Amino acid sequence: MDVEQEREREQRLTTDQRRAERAAAVAFTVAILAGIGLFVVYFAGGQTQIEGVLFCLVLGGLGVGVALWANRLLGAHEAVEERHELTSGVAGREAFGHALAEEVGPTLARRSLLVKLLAAAGGALGLALLLPVLSLGPAPGRTLKETPWRRGIRVVDETGRLVTLNSVPEDGFITVFPEGHQGSADAQALLIRVPAGSLELPPERLEAVPEGTHVAYSKICTHAGCPVGLYRATTRSLLCPCHQSQFDVLDGARPFFGPAARRLPQLPLGVDDQGALIALGDFYEPVGPAFWDRGRK
Amino acid sequence: MTTMIERSLKYVDERLGTASFARRALRKVFPDHWSFLLGEIALFCLVVLVFTGTFLTFFYNPSVREVVYDGPYRPLQGQHVSAAFDSVLRLSFEVRAGLLMRQVHHWAALVFVAAIVIHLCRIFFTGAFRRPREVNWLIGMALLFLALGEGFTGYSLPDDLLSGIGLRIFYSVTLSIPVIGTWVTYLLFGGEFPAGDIISRLFVFHVMLLPALLIGLVVVHIFVLVLQKHTQFPGRGRTERNVVGKRLWPQQTFKSVALLLFTTAVLALLGGLAQINPVWQYGQFRPFDVTSPAQPDWYIGFLDGALRLGPPWDLTLFGFTISEVFWPAVLFPGIAFGILTLWPWIERRFFTKDYAEHHLLDRPRDAPARTATGMAGLMVFFIMFLEGGNDILGVLLNVSVEAITRALQWALFIAPVVTWLVTFWVCRSLQRSHAHPARISAGLRLRRTTAGGYETAPLDPTGNPE
Repeated sequence: MDVEQEREREQRLTTDQRRAERAAAVAFTVAILAGIGLFVVYFAGGQTQIEGVLFCLVLGGLGVGVALWANRLLGAHEAVEERHELTSGVAGREAFGHALAEEVGPTLARRSLLVKLLAAAGGALGLALLLPVLSLGPAPGRTLKETPWRRGIRVVDETGRLVTLNSVPEDGFITVFPEGHQGSADAQALLIRVPAGSLELPPERLEAVPEGTHVAYSKICTHAGCPVGLYRATTRSLLCPCHQSQFDVLDGARPFFGPAARRLPQLPLGVDDQGALIALGDFYEPVGPAFWDRGRK
Repeated sequence: MTTMIERSLKYVDERLGTASFARRALRKVFPDHWSFLLGEIALFCLVVLVFTGTFLTFFYNPSVREVVYDGPYRPLQGQHVSAAFDSVLRLSFEVRAGLLMRQVHHWAALVFVAAIVIHLCRIFFTGAFRRPREVNWLIGMALLFLALGEGFTGYSLPDDLLSGIGLRIFYSVTLSIPVIGTWVTYLLFGGEFPAGDIISRLFVFHVMLLPALLIGLVVVHIFVLVLQKHTQFPGRGRTERNVVGKRLWPQQTFKSVALLLFTTAVLALLGGLAQINPVWQYGQFRPFDVTSPAQPDWYIGFLDGALRLGPPWDLTLFGFTISEVFWPAVLFPGIAFGILTLWPWIERRFFTKDYAEHHLLDRPRDAPARTATGMAGLMVFFIMFLEGGNDILGVLLNVSVEAITRALQWALFIAPVVTWLVTFWVCRSLQRSHAHPARISAGLRLRRTTAGGYETAPLDPTGNPE
């Protein structure tokens, strides 16, 4: 390479660098202006979208400037660093072992009963420290197997209004609760009105369906506990929007598609002297997703 | 100015003796490869999360006490909502820049987990987890689980309908654990769902326990990285005994600062322009309401999809029940993440028998079995992720949800096998093609002879001088 070429190369480098400097200056200026703009917008009352864009410009302008600086103005040469040995070696480990055992080792060997008691006391402390964890929740007991539904309790809707046979339109459904427990998470039930004679239930369960038309099932999906909120009147099927389990209303809420394995438990219903719907007892089975001792009394 | 800097350097050094250590730190070498920035992006998201999250805690109220909403958002005026939900609405509509902070926080969380997952893929596919880096692999996996926990607990805090349903599903999942499920669930939730304590407990997990663990482990993760030095791709002048790249000061520092600024800039833009988690549209959580379609944040999508794909098989043994939820939501992730966590040991024990120390990375093509296994695993998660959006896919493709579920149930078994075979074949073909980015085979170099003349000589395969 002759001297002329060399000088030309250097010149080009400096024009390159000058260009990079200018670009970085523009980027930093954009950041400054956007920062001022941010102040104006904030004190003018704020506006989420403009704030986001201006924040982006402040940060992005700074970023572009710094990146140009890093890539174009700093030397690009590669550095090499030697690795060091990670291990301390056999001698190092032995020295550490000696330091560790020097004073404690002999005492440990001599007082074996004391060491055992120390371990036992440590274990006792560990268990004692676990006790407060038990305060975090009540014992499950029978809570998962029971709901507030009782024999004779009246059926209400979510606003607390008493439900009668006429509260549900033909082929319609409403969400119902035991009186005094509106909004209850485990007692929520779907009251569905189907044509007379269409239900295929065992005789003793059909008796708990007033007029043979008003059937009630738990609204909690037996799969993962979502409210089964969608009803297709054409196919008389219930659909859980979370994982698409589907239940056949006419066939005792039998699951026929999706991941649910169990029927929605039926709620036995009757009608009292005033024409209000009442429960004849709790759901026939525990409601909601399965748990370990679900099948035990 | 100079004397002031000198004086303060002297002051610190005379008391802490930091100058020689700091000098060595400035000279530390970082390999120059874009894929090494993925972990940095995760770190910078964490920085954004800490700052925006701290801002949010000043306004958020983790209480389920019922209040009447009387803020400026008309559709909800006069409704009974929880104090938590009310405070999120206030933060979104009344606190200046509050909505921006909330949305940047949510976006940062999504990008955080994404960056961690892609960083994990980089480590996996290049074999960077091999000895001596198994320790940092374990810490990295713990960080992934903590990030997922942070994501889920944070997602549930607004007490809106969508997150409330997510919480209900999580409750059902813990309930499905054999033997101890009911007890674990009751201790965690404070009783039968929706027990009143859960929001305040999630809050403590989200802003104290998990962040403390997360930040502590990030520090250890980086400490181990510095101690063991970076891995690097093979190439000219790069050996098992050295690290080639840019020094910490100034090149690497400038680059990292620029990346921090870019990451934050993108998150600010997303938070400003791209609406995320509009809880006012979902409304207050009520245990008997449900929305449709319902999707969680992307990183929980595979689990929701697994629940949708799961077979309707519950098991009764001696009167005890194992829920159908157990298989897809406890057993599957337990096995999948168990294999992933133990992969460095599984690979060397059963496949490579390679117990040696490695600082040079594998190109994915050079470890075809590992690459194929990783891709097959990703395919399993991808199919579950797709199924998690089966209701949205159904609308988009005008196909019934039932058909999509059945197709994906088949795909879950077929696609990973096909992926494995195709990936293996692609790796082998690339190996045979000799077009290897780490080897400079087509090249000659000029060599000066002892006689003073010049001659050309081929480069050796690694590109290293002989």
